[in-house]
Amino acid sequence: MINLFNAGLAAYVGALVCAVVYLMSSRRFFDRAANTMMAAGALVQTVYIGMRWVEAGRAPFSNMFESLVLFAWSVAVIYLVLRIQRNIPWLGAAASVFCALALAHASTFEADIKPLMPALQSNWLSFHVLTCFLGYGGFAVAFLIGIGVLVADRGASTVKPETRETLETVMTRTISFGFLFLTLGILTGAVWANSAWGTYWSWDPKETWSLITWFIYAIFLHCRFMRGWRGQASAWISIIGFASVLFTYFGVNFLLSGLHSYAQ
Amino acid sequence: MSDQNQKEKPGAPVKAPGIAGSIASLLGSLKFSLGVVVIIALACIAGTLIPQGEQVSRYLMKNPGSHKGLELMSSLGLTHVFSSWWFAALLCVLAASLLVCTGRRFQAIRRSSGAMRVRVAGSFVTHVSLLLVLVGGVVRVLWGEKGVLELSEGQEATACVGVAGMMPIPFTVRLVDFELEHYKTPGQALEAEGDALLVQWPEKGLAVKLPVELMKTQVIAPSAEPPGPDNTFRVTIERYIPDFFMDSATGGARSRSDQPNNPALYVSVVAAGSTNAQWVFARFPDFSRHGGQGGAGMPLQFKFVSGSANPAAMGRPEGPVKAFRSTVELIENGQVVLKKTIAVNSPMSHRGYTFYQLSYNPNDLTWTALQVVRDPGVPIVYAGFLLMMVGLTVVFCVGPYMDDKRKKTGVAA
Ligand code: HEM
Repeated sequence: MINLFNAGLAAYVGALVCAVVYLMSSRRFFDRAANTMMAAGALVQTVYIGMRWVEAGRAPFSNMFESLVLFAWSVAVIYLVLRIQRNIPWLGAAASVFCALALAHASTFEADIKPLMPALQSNWLSFHVLTCFLGYGGFAVAFLIGIGVLVADRGASTVKPETRETLETVMTRTISFGFLFLTLGILTGAVWANSAWGTYWSWDPKETWSLITWFIYAIFLHCRFMRGWRGQASAWISIIGFASVLFTYFGVNFLLSGLHSYAQ
Repeated sequence: MSDQNQKEKPGAPVKAPGIAGSIASLLGSLKFSLGVVVIIALACIAGTLIPQGEQVSRYLMKNPGSHKGLELMSSLGLTHVFSSWWFAALLCVLAASLLVCTGRRFQAIRRSSGAMRVRVAGSFVTHVSLLLVLVGGVVRVLWGEKGVLELSEGQEATACVGVAGMMPIPFTVRLVDFELEHYKTPGQALEAEGDALLVQWPEKGLAVKLPVELMKTQVIAPSAEPPGPDNTFRVTIERYIPDFFMDSATGGARSRSDQPNNPALYVSVVAAGSTNAQWVFARFPDFSRHGGQGGAGMPLQFKFVSGSANPAAMGRPEGPVKAFRSTVELIENGQVVLKKTIAVNSPMSHRGYTFYQLSYNPNDLTWTALQVVRDPGVPIVYAGFLLMMVGLTVVFCVGPYMDDKRKKTGVAA
């Protein structure tokens, strides 16, 4: 099974190489090759997740390794769906870097299928993780777009206005998508917590940070839709929002548990 | 950032005269409510980065130098953010702001039409759902109760230990049974090393290892001499029992559990017209020699070499805890009105009280601790959750479509 994992990683690296060659040579063949590789990566990962699901007898969304795999998968799928609608040449390269890095990072964690402790044996939990990571995938793509907007503004004259409009649209859509799924993720997490412990919200650091993330994107959406914010201002919110996503995901585990480690 | 391309929001503001009116229009303004959201977010950040509550004393022990700073933070309420009055006040201001803006949204629904109307309705539903969640939280704080109920098998209780003294329960709770279940992991892992039945005939120097395959007959004879009726045996492993015990009620052998705590094989041997059968135990190699029925004339000796019962596994025959469950009966007026098994992630509810499996005592498996929660706010909060998903789905599925349409028809936002 680890071969499938590596095949996914290889496909994303291949997609990256093709995308970079395409950016430098502008030859259509490499664009197609990059997209094919990306699709192959997503497909291989889907099979991998499916097999792991069968082997573990439960949804494989329970630890750092499994969630990173899911993260890469959701970014790849979201990118591919976007690619059908719009063509942002550099986004393929950026997304494949992201997927490859996520999988490379995953490979530093224990990949063995471990039995779950009682509190984690819940369908609500599987649903919670899946929806959160679909949301994070949307935010990751919106973050890449946000960076793109900032970079584009540096050399504003070279960016065609319709490309700029595409970036705005894609950023808003991916954040809307991410927000919908993050909300679903937070709510299913609350329902799970209530069925496991009798409290749907207990202000623990992870919960609190997911709420902070949610607030940031709610602010983005209100500024965008009610105030018509665009360009750098909304790009910055997207970047800050994703920083908050990463902090919720990694920081709370590593930094805050470091801070709290005296508790053990 | 605020000087970016600001546009007036659609719809006319509510015209309400006087102080109340201006407070309302302040509360309902987007700038104000997003400002409150930002402050709440900052408070949340403080509440996760600064040690909270009981962490403080431990933090001080580790970092003696930080005394002054923590004292200051403590007096500012930053060491118990989520239970502080000012955090609650912030949430109230947020609720008030949402209420005003939701009221205004409601009027906007009537004023708008077409797809715009759908979208405004969606945002209205979303804002209402947020209010519901906040209201549900208030209901929990005001009327909710929480306690811990400790019971041993057979014991009954009509109250549990609450946060502020005993918390009565309007019926009787009786613990019928507690059970703890482990994963089979180590057993499975070690089984891979192989279970085998070692068959020996010391006098003839015979030693064969048979794999543990049920109902497979294998013929065994010393290789040094020609096979005949006196030295040829048909050995069959008829049963495997992972956790052997002799049921005194039925007189039959049974398994206590799926764990290989006491693995045993039932081996039958046919030789020269006579049949013998005996139990062979992995843990008790000597027992089989003397314990078998009718094995007196049998020259063969059996040893059950069980991977799952090897010395490394004997200390901890079980894997990690898989589940723990309490079966309880609820009694009203002397009658059992409900009997259910409670497990983690599978609570039991009765008359507004919900019982959660909280913990157990590894040294006393007849004891259980249940959490008892009465939270009349939960239905309100869940209704809020449901509405929130409905509202967001309306906003985000119709929204982009709306934008496209608006652009195409050239109607200004
Ligand atoms: C975090 C708490 C929230 C606060 C404090 C808040 C506050 C506000 C305020 C003050 C307005 C302006 C109302 C007006 O001017 O009439 C508004 C509009 C709006 N809000 Fe929120 N809101 C919150 C959450 C949300 C969420 C989660 C969504 C989901 C998408 C949302 C969607 C909207 C929409 C779509 C509008 C504009 C409605 C329209 O386009 O006509 N809000 N919000």
